[in-house]
Amino acid sequence: MINKVFTDGLSFALPLLIMAIGALYSEKSGVTNLAIEGFQGVGAFVGALAATLLAPVMGSGNQAIIYIAMVCAAAGGAVFSCLHGLLCIRFRANQVISGVVINILAVALTAFFTSAANSAINGTASNKFILDVSDRFTVPLLSKIPGIGGLFTDMYPFEIVIIALVVFLWYLMNRTRFGMRLRACGENPHAVDAAGASVNRIRWAAVLISGALSGIGGICFAYSLIGNFSPSIYQGFGYLAIAAMIFGNWHIGPTTLACLVFGLAKSGGLQLCIAAKLPSNYTDLFLMLPYVLTLLLLIFFSKKNHPPKAAGEPWDKSKR
Amino acid sequence: MKEIRRFLARRLTGRHASLWVSVIAILLMMITASILLLGMGKSPLTAFKTFLQGCGFLARENYGGGSGQLSDLLDFLNYLTPLILASVAFITAFKAGLFNIGISGQMLLAGFTATVVVGYNKELSPFIAKPAVLLIGLLAGGLAGALIGFLKYKFNIHEVVSTIMINYIISYLTGFFINNNYVDMMTRTSKVCSAASRLTLTNVMIGDMKCKIPLGLIIAILAALLVAFLFRKTVAGFEIKAVGQNRRCSEYSGIRVNRTIMLSMGLSGAIAGLAGVCYYLGYTNTIIPKILPSMGFDAISVALLGNGSPIGAIFAGAVVSIFQQGANFMSSSLGVAKEIASLISGILLLYASCGNYMRFKARRSLQLAADLVPASEIPGTTEKKEAEDDDQ
Repeated sequence: MINKVFTDGLSFALPLLIMAIGALYSEKSGVTNLAIEGFQGVGAFVGALAATLLAPVMGSGNQAIIYIAMVCAAAGGAVFSCLHGLLCIRFRANQVISGVVINILAVALTAFFTSAANSAINGTASNKFILDVSDRFTVPLLSKIPGIGGLFTDMYPFEIVIIALVVFLWYLMNRTRFGMRLRACGENPHAVDAAGASVNRIRWAAVLISGALSGIGGICFAYSLIGNFSPSIYQGFGYLAIAAMIFGNWHIGPTTLACLVFGLAKSGGLQLCIAAKLPSNYTDLFLMLPYVLTLLLLIFFSKKNHPPKAAGEPWDKSKR
Repeated sequence: MKEIRRFLARRLTGRHASLWVSVIAILLMMITASILLLGMGKSPLTAFKTFLQGCGFLARENYGGGSGQLSDLLDFLNYLTPLILASVAFITAFKAGLFNIGISGQMLLAGFTATVVVGYNKELSPFIAKPAVLLIGLLAGGLAGALIGFLKYKFNIHEVVSTIMINYIISYLTGFFINNNYVDMMTRTSKVCSAASRLTLTNVMIGDMKCKIPLGLIIAILAALLVAFLFRKTVAGFEIKAVGQNRRCSEYSGIRVNRTIMLSMGLSGAIAGLAGVCYYLGYTNTIIPKILPSMGFDAISVALLGNGSPIGAIFAGAVVSIFQQGANFMSSSLGVAKEIASLISGILLLYASCGNYMRFKARRSLQLAADLVPASEIPGTTEKKEAEDDDQ
């Protein structure tokens, strides 16, 4: 049972983490991003649409589909995030309003186009794309480690992709010139401007990255964990990711830990419910756990954190 | 083209600038929706006509037994009632600079509590039950709202994150209780509440039409007027606005910021609670477990479209309701998925949130034009001031 907790926990934590890092990139560059929920939904929609269209051509069960879907989801998320960039960077709208507007629009947009696409493709009025579940694999030696072996059992292929991406993104943020400028944009944009870089261009890049990463997170939920795409993808995972970023104090390392805690809390609660042989109604109470945990953790961690200084303010060159 | 631009620029810097932002947002939304409908091969004109017909503003070709234009119109008002309340709730928090995304959750909590405490109590007479429902709605919503305000100032938790978490907690918790104790085995929703406690009178015969009369509409309009009064004439309202504009400045000037945040969130929650009882014990009379009402989010479109004014919310609410309530008839007569209603209000929200940019552009283009024309007729300088006063 403990193995199952670790396996499921990790497969929930990693998509959450990639979304949290998306939010982190955007906020570090000085654009408050509450639109993660919307980005992941639209990304998942584009990915799911691609998978649905490709499945008859490539044969269902073809494992290449998940990778193509992930690329499409990243592209879809990035394109949709242009809207947030446009509102926040170009139009200088209130960034919190923009985030919420985009989330609402994303729900409506995907719900409508899922119905429209379904009636166009197979003539049914369903609001769901049924997707495959990708094959799982077990890492040979590591999975035999007692205790944490569950982390390496029954892994989805996307988990490897996400871990590789996270390492790369950490490097990009902390060890490259682009990353340094990006962080400076969130703390002191005038310094970046004085150094000769364009603040708005860096912020655009950060918002696009956050859209692409959230899209990847979304398709991982849709393609592997839930097994379909429907409006039920909007379960507040984007907000959980933002909460994880806040616990992580806007740093990638601690954010990873926070995501793991969420993942383990979710799978642990579910396994506990199964182990205690409670009626199925009670799963609702355990599904509530990650949200309660988030709230409790926020109570303990929110007071001391340091959000990027310039987050939430549109860049104004003449201001000082 | 040039004349149109100049006309719009003057309107957007003039006295009724906020009204014109809404008008332009609605026009842009209709253009976008028309393009969308044309893309699907439907006529936009017919679509807009069926939206209006579905709400009783225009007569349909034929009606089923017991229904007519008046009953459609009353159905529309029945939907509008909780929407006005929900958007007034959003505005109350918004003036303090707080973003209450938790209206859905507060509605659900209030609706659930009132249903369980009063709605399932068969003996109560209508004259006790209806006020009791309202009171419970106020209390349940108000407490949930005040909790968010408390978390905000005591622990510095961003209200958007905490409200979303509380939304899901409320949704799962009430879903659990409904599924365990109060479920109707046939419909898989909660059992219907008693007619005595319902805030909408059903099956009222007017002529040969069966009509629903939303009693809550009076409360909704009253609430909008009261909140408008609060912000225009009272000290508490002024303090809430001051905190919303500059928290540090209000702290230095002696406003108790903590108390003000709690007050505005509590008030917002209480009004959301009223919206909840009008929705769950009026518009519907059952609760679908684990579904948050999408009205809590439509309320945000309404509030932004109404430019954050409670009176504006009544009219903006009517515009959004036309699409939400008319969607069923539009969908059945045109064959377009009825999810388009939410899409339309989403697009409307998008344009409404660009209001500041529109006004910035307008001011800019007038300034550019002013460089070319003689200085004697430069608009904007005096009118701009008035427009900014108008906002409040």
